[in-house]
Amino acid sequence: MAFAVEMIGVSKSFGPVAANRDVSFGVRHGEIHALVGENGAGKTTLMNILFGLMQPDSGEIRIDGKPVVMESPRTSIGLGLGMVHQHFKLVPSLTVAENMFLGMEITKAGLVDRKAQSEKARALSEEFGLRIDPDRRIHELSVGAEQRVEILKVLARGANVVILDEPTAVLTPQESRDLFRIIRRFADTGMTVIFISHHLDEVLEVSDTVTVLRDGAVVGTRPTKELDEDSLVNMMVGRQVNFDRRERKKMSGNTVLELRDVFARDDRGLPALRGIDLEVRAGEIVGIVGVDGNGQTELSEVVSGLRAPSHGEIFLDGKAVEGSDPRHMRAAGLAHVPADRLVRGVNPGADIASNILMGRQHVAPWAKKGLIRWGKVRELARELMQRFDIRAKDEHVAVKTLSGGNMQKVVVAREFSQHMPLLLIDQPTRGVDIGAMEGIHDEIIRRRDAGAAILLISVQIDEILALADRVLVMFNGGISGEVDPANTTEEEIGYLMAGGSRSKEAAA
Amino acid sequence: MSADTTPTPVRSSWRMPNWLESILGQLIALGIAIIGGAILIILVGEDPILVFTTLLRGAFGNSERIAGSLLQATPIIIAGVAACIALRGGLFNIGVEGQLYMGGFAAAFVGFQFALPTGLHMLVALAAAVVAGGLWILIPAFFRARFGTNEVVSTILSNYVAILLTSYFTIDVFKRPGGWSETDPVATTAYLPQLFEFSRLNFGLFIGLALAIGFHLFLTRTSRGYDMNTMGANMKFAEYGGIAVKRNILVILLCSGAVGGLAGGVETLGVHHRFMEGFAPGFGFDGVIAALLANGSPIGVIFTALFFGALRAGSLLMEVETNASREVITVFQAIIILCVSAQILLRRRRDSSQGERRWKF
Repeated sequence: MAFAVEMIGVSKSFGPVAANRDVSFGVRHGEIHALVGENGAGKTTLMNILFGLMQPDSGEIRIDGKPVVMESPRTSIGLGLGMVHQHFKLVPSLTVAENMFLGMEITKAGLVDRKAQSEKARALSEEFGLRIDPDRRIHELSVGAEQRVEILKVLARGANVVILDEPTAVLTPQESRDLFRIIRRFADTGMTVIFISHHLDEVLEVSDTVTVLRDGAVVGTRPTKELDEDSLVNMMVGRQVNFDRRERKKMSGNTVLELRDVFARDDRGLPALRGIDLEVRAGEIVGIVGVDGNGQTELSEVVSGLRAPSHGEIFLDGKAVEGSDPRHMRAAGLAHVPADRLVRGVNPGADIASNILMGRQHVAPWAKKGLIRWGKVRELARELMQRFDIRAKDEHVAVKTLSGGNMQKVVVAREFSQHMPLLLIDQPTRGVDIGAMEGIHDEIIRRRDAGAAILLISVQIDEILALADRVLVMFNGGISGEVDPANTTEEEIGYLMAGGSRSKEAAA
Repeated sequence: MSADTTPTPVRSSWRMPNWLESILGQLIALGIAIIGGAILIILVGEDPILVFTTLLRGAFGNSERIAGSLLQATPIIIAGVAACIALRGGLFNIGVEGQLYMGGFAAAFVGFQFALPTGLHMLVALAAAVVAGGLWILIPAFFRARFGTNEVVSTILSNYVAILLTSYFTIDVFKRPGGWSETDPVATTAYLPQLFEFSRLNFGLFIGLALAIGFHLFLTRTSRGYDMNTMGANMKFAEYGGIAVKRNILVILLCSGAVGGLAGGVETLGVHHRFMEGFAPGFGFDGVIAALLANGSPIGVIFTALFFGALRAGSLLMEVETNASREVITVFQAIIILCVSAQILLRRRRDSSQGERRWKF
């Protein structure tokens, strides 16, 4: 039987750089096919070619055995393909249902039938257990929910081959498992799923077949049951990666960050933080975990000064922070790696040097008498590119042309190299490959050992467990418990994330 | 970090440098405008080649006409820099026209009301124009910084108030006895020096050029310029990075308004030597368009403003010697604006899709 999707000898170069080299692989009907590889291995380019967003330099695409030319996404959608991008393409001011049916509105007498759209959206959402209110506006949703809307969008267009580009990068473990169930259901109904990832555990858990890419070429295609984590890592990076937990430190430095009874509201004006008390000491990493949407975003915004608390006090280095302004927080000693690097973390159109400069533009030796000393700035940029392994031709390269991992390294390099007493790190390795992830983790540990107080927020429980000295679990705007990362289990954390408290008896 | 030899993420096949691409785009826009204008001219029964050559002759025919073009370009350059200041800070000042009127009146007022030594009188009058322009944007600027009120709407509205208020001043309060709707003449001590005998082209041109170059250097070389440029490029990044966004919004809009006022002062002290009702029709708006056309680049504004100035100067001769009216030029400008807006849209669309594509492979 013919493959549902087959790519034969596909090559694509960008100038002197080959993104895909003679890539051939086939996906059978009704299978979940994982495409794995490090950032820069060529996965997304390959899928963009398949989806018609780019044209290959050479090679052929076959759908159900028939050669096709993917002129544009319109062609591929017409052939039953659907793609959920890593970066969402939603209109923030429109509702979920309006986004789903954008360009293919359900009409009645020439007018958009909102009610029918909303009902159809609700039905689809319920059918696949996506738990989305179709009448919510996108800007009110969490990142995880936005992704589910993207999936709904593809479903609404009647795709039978669904391409997911790193779908779990933004999901909690629970949400990921939900997603896997959904994907499994797709496959059971005969739909084909292509799934890009670099999380080995989920690849092994969910896929039927794995194709590994390295440096733009296929290393191999194997049935998942023949693989384990070690062999997969070997295929991906050609070497072993150390996943061991790191040495904990019990430092009792002075308190750098303290939150006392902090309350805050979310964008909709609903309570998002309900009486948070927390303390981060110099030389320790405090990890925050929780199901997406339980107040982590607001906590990070309150600490960074982007959101005003409605009640409570924040102390940095023992001094109460007045008002809420990132400027004051930074002046008081905060460095901050934000969750969404494209929105806040970088100036995408500017070059690396200019992005590195942010936060230093008024400080000697990078500026003197109000003038920027670009020579010094470029020197610093080159030094940081070396130290943080930012891969680009030179410091003049625009940040928007970098891969996700390299872009994140620019943010990390800028913030970590300021040597601030407090580091707020939100999703340090979202969308970053294993090699880069290790490097960023090493730098986090290095900052801690140098005496920084670190508040680490991540949807990746593994990451928190590997790095944090203490772990706080958030539920419904409060802290539902603290666990010792050395002696806890995912089950215990999962229990707290679901709202179970150790003081349940007391509450009962 | 990982030591394998993943290719550097610098990529993409050869692409035109941005500046070349945008110049090429403007040339295409110009071409379309010429064709559109030609069709219009044929429709009114004139010979397009004759009209265009007359236009060119009117703009560049001899040194006097070239000076005339530069004279028309002068207030547009200054107003264009005013608009650029707002644009590069991520803001819009569509009220340059109004600030120009207020600045023009303030300079004239100082010019005819006070007696001061030569030179100093001019500087005080220009300073008054700067202050008047700044004051005129104060309300929109404050509301934008404090409450986030849309400055596009409030600055547009402020234009009408300025134009009508200065009309009232010239028709009634400060009207020259026996004259038309104009004030008393400015004392010669406050004149901007003329450059040539044969033209009213004056020192204001150098003020404009200095402002444009100075602002360019400010943006690229100074710490505050970096703050401002970053705000214009990504306001959220600027806020996150600790730039004093609200305070800067106020300062940027005030500066933009002040330069707008200066444009009016230069026009009054350099050309008319009095304030007349409707003394500078559309220079402020042309400045805004010149800035948009130049994509916010102050160096680019010099050229777009010169182009508009040449059109204005050339259209005078065109109107005298052919049956085509000056409105042809307005249509011409409108077509260019449409083409440029379309380009901006296309570029945005491509950038966003390439951002997606280039994100990683």
